[in-house]
Amino acid sequence: MSEDSDIIRRSGATPAAFAELYDRYARAVFRYAAGRVGNGYADDIMSETFLVAFERRESFDITIGDARPWLFGIATTLMRKHSRVEAKAWQGLVADGAAAVPDDAIEAIGSRIDAEVAVKAIAAALRKMPTRDRDALLLYAWADLDYEGVAQALRIPVGTVRSRLNRARRTLRAASHRGSTPDQEVEHGRNNVAAETA
Amino acid sequence: MDEITLLRRLREDRNPTDESVTRGRAALFNKINEVAPKERVTTARRRFTLAGLGAAGAFAIVGVLVATNVLGFGGWRGGADAAAAAILERAAIAAFTFDDVPLAAGQYLHVSSQTVHVTDGQEQNGPVIAFRIKESSELYVPEDRADDWVWVRDPISVIDVLSPGGEDMVERSFPSSEQARDPELLRAPFGAFYGNTAESQWGDFASMPRDPYRLLNHIYLTTIGAGSSPDGEALVVIADTLRQGTAPADLRAALLRAAAMIPGVTITDDQATLDGQTGTAIGRVESENGLRQEIIIDPTSGRLIGEREVAVVAIPESSIAAGDVWRWSSVHTSIVDAAPAGGTPNGASDLAGCVPGERTGEMYCPPGGKK
Repeated sequence: MSEDSDIIRRSGATPAAFAELYDRYARAVFRYAAGRVGNGYADDIMSETFLVAFERRESFDITIGDARPWLFGIATTLMRKHSRVEAKAWQGLVADGAAAVPDDAIEAIGSRIDAEVAVKAIAAALRKMPTRDRDALLLYAWADLDYEGVAQALRIPVGTVRSRLNRARRTLRAASHRGSTPDQEVEHGRNNVAAETA
Repeated sequence: MDEITLLRRLREDRNPTDESVTRGRAALFNKINEVAPKERVTTARRRFTLAGLGAAGAFAIVGVLVATNVLGFGGWRGGADAAAAAILERAAIAAFTFDDVPLAAGQYLHVSSQTVHVTDGQEQNGPVIAFRIKESSELYVPEDRADDWVWVRDPISVIDVLSPGGEDMVERSFPSSEQARDPELLRAPFGAFYGNTAESQWGDFASMPRDPYRLLNHIYLTTIGAGSSPDGEALVVIADTLRQGTAPADLRAALLRAAAMIPGVTITDDQATLDGQTGTAIGRVESENGLRQEIIIDPTSGRLIGEREVAVVAIPESSIAAGDVWRWSSVHTSIVDAAPAGGTPNGASDLAGCVPGERTGEMYCPPGGKK
């Protein structure tokens, strides 16, 4: 299978070749976006990401074989326009509660009630998390990028990715450990952020 | 289970519908098709260009053109030979008498056109693969041009692969599934499709002089620096404008007469067959790229049959031999009483949910429209 960078390079002379990139990653972009802005908007983000990517294909760094960080970076930027929608999606996740968790995962967590509490805590923590931390966390968890990939997507140094992810994880952990009062936990998480960045 | 693992699990079972994936793919292809034909032609032409007109040369010519515009630059350096000029003049007269029967209210000018041309592609470290593609469409121009125009555009299809063994690469570039999709159906007042103005879509006919000398000068000026040579590009513009079928009769006549003033224009083939019709080919060899640009005219009626580009020398890295047709277009105009129903200004973009008048994929215009 040819590398993504080959496809992008080829699309310079043969634009239709770019469709291969869509076939490879459209669904992954959708899944990432659907978690953040809901299925309805994820359709748009999926489509728009590739249109923007096609227009900017000359800006892709072809020394990087994997196009996913670039594509997820575009999708992330596009979703910033939908921050209010995203906030609602987190509320929706709170409303869904345990219903959002696959059955086997509920078993692993312990009980449906535990899962309910954990999901609500995570959703509330994500909602209140600083955007930059949330972007890094969700690119890592939902776009399945590694630290290097997240760094490429957000165009930040890997060290910064590491500190943002650590902070985001700590926020999540703190929230879920006191899941019954998620808002209070998030405040606690924010205090941590302030302490770290100081 | 830690938080990240739980977070990952929350995303599962979220998958786009097939319909949504198809729609997104169509939107992407729509975008690709907007740029593709232009880029391909440019690539093809550029490849065989030895040297373009430099910036200094371009400026110098602008100066000369501005200075000579009133006097008439067209015709100053000679023009078509007498036989070609005679055929072009006959065609110019025919433009008035033959093609331009006035439309009655509610009727449409129906322009059916198809273009077949050679293009090429290359995958990394692979050979250059030449293949032929076809673009065809049906355009319905209303009697009152301010009314809705309808344009039915077929998907680009691959005719054949010219480089042995290139079939797989071509299939990757133009998947059969894309070639089999429904035509794109567009509808817009003034023919202003894809967010273009009527002028940018079809040409600013109003600003084009009807006097052939001035028209040719106008073309030289507006195409300065483009194409392989000023004369070659002028003939390309004339052929492109005629091929559209939308230019009014007086402009078509002026274009044909302007072609007769381009140096080097001769009868290049008196038995040119195009899409099953035989006519007289009038054209000019572009020494810069080894292609001969031709307009093909029915010698008895003067009616335009189409245009073509013929390779005068074998084209390297392809199976194109001297004398092979590199590109041809045929156009057939008629008058019809009805146009197909349906269609939107942006066609496939609108099917993807875009706001009319804006182009899918631009930052302010997501395929789903503004929310």
